[in-house]
Amino acid sequence: MAERTSKLCSLRQAADLIRDGDRVAFGGFAIYQKPMALVHEIIRAGKKGLTVVGSVNSVDVDMLAGAGCVRTVETSYVGLEKFGLAMNYRRAVQDGTVAAVHYPEILAWDRFRADAEGLEFWPAAYLGGSDIVNLNPAIRRFENPMNGKPMYAIPAAAPDVAVVHVPAADIYGNVRIQPRHLLPQSMDIAVSRATRNVIVTAERIIPTAEIREDPHLNVIPAFRVRAVVHAPYGSHPTPVLSVMRMDDAFFREYAEASATPGRFGAFLDRYVRGVDGHEGYLDAVGRARLDALEEGTGGGK
Amino acid sequence: MNYTMEELLAAALAHTIADGEVGFTGLATGKAAAAYNTNIPLLGMGLAKRTHAPNLTVLLCGWSHNPDLSQLKAMPECEFANELLNLPCEAQMQDYPGTWAYKAGDIDFAFGTGVQVDREGNLNCTCIGDPAHPKVQLVGPIFLPEHFAVFGREYIMMPHHERRNFVGRVDHISGVGYPGGTEGRRRLGLPGGGPKYIFTPRCIFAFDGAGSLYVKSIHPGVTPQELEENTGFDLGDLSGVPATAEPTAEELRILREEVDPNGILRL
Repeated sequence: MAERTSKLCSLRQAADLIRDGDRVAFGGFAIYQKPMALVHEIIRAGKKGLTVVGSVNSVDVDMLAGAGCVRTVETSYVGLEKFGLAMNYRRAVQDGTVAAVHYPEILAWDRFRADAEGLEFWPAAYLGGSDIVNLNPAIRRFENPMNGKPMYAIPAAAPDVAVVHVPAADIYGNVRIQPRHLLPQSMDIAVSRATRNVIVTAERIIPTAEIREDPHLNVIPAFRVRAVVHAPYGSHPTPVLSVMRMDDAFFREYAEASATPGRFGAFLDRYVRGVDGHEGYLDAVGRARLDALEEGTGGGK
Repeated sequence: MNYTMEELLAAALAHTIADGEVGFTGLATGKAAAAYNTNIPLLGMGLAKRTHAPNLTVLLCGWSHNPDLSQLKAMPECEFANELLNLPCEAQMQDYPGTWAYKAGDIDFAFGTGVQVDREGNLNCTCIGDPAHPKVQLVGPIFLPEHFAVFGREYIMMPHHERRNFVGRVDHISGVGYPGGTEGRRRLGLPGGGPKYIFTPRCIFAFDGAGSLYVKSIHPGVTPQELEENTGFDLGDLSGVPATAEPTAEELRILREEVDPNGILRL
């Protein structure tokens, strides 16, 4: 009998699915459930010229900006919320090495809905007078054919690849999310429906038999997924809702390190570039510290 | 009477809220931003709900409907953490699209802040200097373009009232006010009401029916001269401007005993 293909692979194999210059979308939202293990691997692999397309971004974009991997950022927000400003991103935009293309938060989300519906753009009636439109030639004005009023076509997000970090998946790419979820998990769903080139990193790899027990929780079906990576604590220092808390102390260390390029370079060497993959990262952060972040029923890696 | 700036502004805010409205507030962090963008809105909405607007819907962080803040011992600092997930409320927006549709007019009012606001009510939270080569890159427009263009009305909440915040022209129009007045807004096709008030530590501004900015009231203890010195555009004749009404004893009791019994919104 023909055998189904496992998509389980290493973090490096998954990162190598991303080409220099690709448009990349990360799941999660703001400082919540970001696929940081893969972000780290993109840096180790030395990817260049990426465009990150998102709605609300944070340490994902900031780290890639600080490591020189990103050329363009299309989003509504890059910051660290209660931990402060995204200083690498700020410096990169100010010195011109990163181009910031600003989109309103929900329209940035709608750009992924356009892809999901096979549309070239998402329409909005309400951008007149805004520098969002005045400064972005990719947004085109058109006339609403029903009433003649001005409308704006917001280009689809068009990611070449989407990356999400999730509580559990099987080796074929069926993704299980939390029994109760919020908007960061909804964003995982949104980006995963904008492409069939989805990279999944998972806290746990579970048997397909277990996947079949609760199909209503499996919001990303296998056929959308290109690669599955087992990456425990793969969102650190951002949380996985009901599974792992935010690592506040590490975030503060990150924010302090990103105050200058020199200190940030040392931070990257210590945690990302100078360690042996994700396991090396977890060792550098400290296993006991990571264990202490676990909560709820999602542990047991 | 003893009251705080937050209580003064919360009472003034409550008076502008109508019964049955849907109000949206985020979860700002940092002392000044939290006071103006989260605490004053929650206090004002809580007061309105307990006086004249029992059918008000409060959307905390945009997704928790009518949360029971009396269950909290401290304000959360994270909008998507388990403490808010488990906070008793009436509904949770788990997905976008979800429980409300702002494009269809579901949000009656919300609160927004930025580093610069101008006389037309345009707000900037994106960058300082030429946006093509910014001198200072800020966090980005976030949800403010939608707030200003589509919501019923916007309260601009400015924790600092200095000349650098109240400018002749903002460097980036992140939220659109009244370029060309209300007629200008109509020509732009903006469906929402736009900014209606600006709350600051010195005064409350409002926009009249033509979309023109005026000083609605000056806070007790603030002089017109002080206001002019700290505002980067002409305020016109301030001689007839009343003082901001102080909260009544009953309003203060409701704020302290019912809206915020654990003191989590006080600074």
